[in-house]
Amino acid sequence: MHVMTDFYIIIQQLVNGLILGSFYSLVALGYSMVYGIIKLLNFAHGDIYMVGAFVGFGALGLFGSVLGIGWLGITAALVISMVLVGFLGIVIHRVAYQPLLNKNAPRMSLLITAVGVSFTLFNAVMVMTSGEYKAFTTSLSYDGISVGPLNITYTQIIMVVATAVLMLGLYWFINRTMYGKAMRAIALDQDACRLMGINVTKTISLTFFVGSALAAAAGVMAGVYYGSIHFYMGFIIGLKAFTAAVIGGIGSIPGAMLGGLILGLLETAGTQLPFVGSAWKDVFTFGILILLLVTKPTGILGKSEIERM
Amino acid sequence: MSKKFLSVLAVTLLSFTVIVSGCGTQSSASSSGSSDQSTASSGDIKIGVPLPMTGSEATYGKDMENAIKMAVAEVNAKGGINGKTLGTVTGDDACDPQQATAAANKLVSEGVVAIVGGYCSGAVVPTLTIYNEKNIPYIVEAANSSKITDENPGNTFQINGTAVHQTQKAVELFKKLGAKNVAIVEQGDAYSSDLAKQTEAAWKAAGNTVVSHDVTTKGEQDFSSLVTSLKSKNTDLVFWTAYYADGALLIKQLRQGGYKGAIVVGDGSSDPKLIQMAGAAGEGTYVLSPPVAEFLPTAKQFADAYKAKYGQTPGAYAPLAYDGINLLADAMKRAGNTDGKAIIKALIETKDFQGLAGKVTFAPNKTLQESNFIVLQIKNGQFVLQ
Repeated sequence: MHVMTDFYIIIQQLVNGLILGSFYSLVALGYSMVYGIIKLLNFAHGDIYMVGAFVGFGALGLFGSVLGIGWLGITAALVISMVLVGFLGIVIHRVAYQPLLNKNAPRMSLLITAVGVSFTLFNAVMVMTSGEYKAFTTSLSYDGISVGPLNITYTQIIMVVATAVLMLGLYWFINRTMYGKAMRAIALDQDACRLMGINVTKTISLTFFVGSALAAAAGVMAGVYYGSIHFYMGFIIGLKAFTAAVIGGIGSIPGAMLGGLILGLLETAGTQLPFVGSAWKDVFTFGILILLLVTKPTGILGKSEIERM
Repeated sequence: MSKKFLSVLAVTLLSFTVIVSGCGTQSSASSSGSSDQSTASSGDIKIGVPLPMTGSEATYGKDMENAIKMAVAEVNAKGGINGKTLGTVTGDDACDPQQATAAANKLVSEGVVAIVGGYCSGAVVPTLTIYNEKNIPYIVEAANSSKITDENPGNTFQINGTAVHQTQKAVELFKKLGAKNVAIVEQGDAYSSDLAKQTEAAWKAAGNTVVSHDVTTKGEQDFSSLVTSLKSKNTDLVFWTAYYADGALLIKQLRQGGYKGAIVVGDGSSDPKLIQMAGAAGEGTYVLSPPVAEFLPTAKQFADAYKAKYGQTPGAYAPLAYDGINLLADAMKRAGNTDGKAIIKALIETKDFQGLAGKVTFAPNKTLQESNFIVLQIKNGQFVLQ
């Protein structure tokens, strides 16, 4: 009986870690894609996730009366948020980053600009929402599968499936389409791409669009899943997703997915393990990550490359 | 050019500040003795009321001042104190230590015999000795930092609950609910950590078990692994000591994860937004709260009268502000005169004074002997008194 209970607890924690990890993965993808193509750590990415949650919240408020606040309304809100925030990503790229790229500015200037964009975004949302928490109200129930102490809601299952679909879609886009090919080519050599007639600026914008849309999807899903949103919600997840991208090997798409899942699972394990517990879980998680990076500095799936500083 | 502009701007701003603050002082000084647009009301016995009248906390200060004036009018209508009437002089402390000190000196110079008020702890602490030097008793109604208790020079009485009182009430509630395996969750900040640690100590001292004491990170949204961990320890009561926003997340995820036991939250989560954000999962949650008028059966009449007079419902600390004046009036009557030392002695001897928020008897450290925290429960989307 006791062994059985322990078994259920492990399964439950695996599920918990998987869901948390899939949020990290979705946000980490955007970090990794942008880094892969222009070597920029886009620190505004966590805030794009936050803006995504708020746009989804607004869309659900607008269309909720027509489509309801069940899955139909949520899906509509998700799509609207992904598109709008995708365009926001393009605007950020064109206004904040591209002028610096054109002037061949040092990467450090881009990094500072990214921090500035982050501040701009969350302060703007703070002012617009008066810094208040908003309840993301949906009509989803807590129904699900429960076996003994094991409890998995349908919402949780749908979240994981949705993440998987988005990631597979991205994988297909990067590896099977012309646009994806262009992105991969630019990551290798921008100048050669220009000579081959690839519109580099447009392709970088497209990368921002896709990365931001994925973060927006994660933001809306987090709003639906956790039930409340706040202007500062992107900060911690931004840091964690960045970590996930680095563990996976920054610049690598499967690496970002893997890194997010590993981070989620480690945190969950840390909370449950005796002698670690919730207060020490971050120390535990990051301790292991440091060990991992010491043994493999490029991350799990990262390739070592010659740095041209 | 731009430098010149800046200095002109600075001078203009500075002089503006001087004019504004000058006005503030003047109007409150000139209106003492006349009861129109009043920061002061006439009376034979002057009571000082230091509260924030400007700044971010002004709403609370105004609310308490309203309740204080109501109580003073009622005492006077019943014949005052030994034939003399009461009057108030308001000093704006703006929730700021420096301005509070200035306001305190002004109140002393106006010859107040007692002080009733005190909203911000930071603005109360530096004024205690100013009043004590003149043997002026101070009844504090809202500020509840342990610093006030620790630095009390002897003239100060706190009629609001402190962390100790909340802990008492929490332990009482846990017992009533028959809890065996209590889990405490805090956020690592001074306020929630203090309440969590004190409750853990008190609960253990009463011979009970705390199965886990968890610390979550502020702003982190996912509690699922914590929920599973709590369930695996057979927790039957979860006590959340931090604020409502993350509290609502925890409540939701506890219920989502199939946790069936009791959930209790501290006064930091005592906010209608908790109900809104936790939704259906919030039902049945117990909330520790300071004595709010709408939940006190004894305060029904007070709340109605307040609403009739000021056109709004009394705020969180209005009942205590009202109690403060009545307690002072009671002490003055027992003392037989308005000498500061005599009033302080009478206040110390207060026994079972019946106020809106419960009975007042002071412990040796001049805080309440018995907790006045109340327990609310969320039922059908509303707070209901337990």
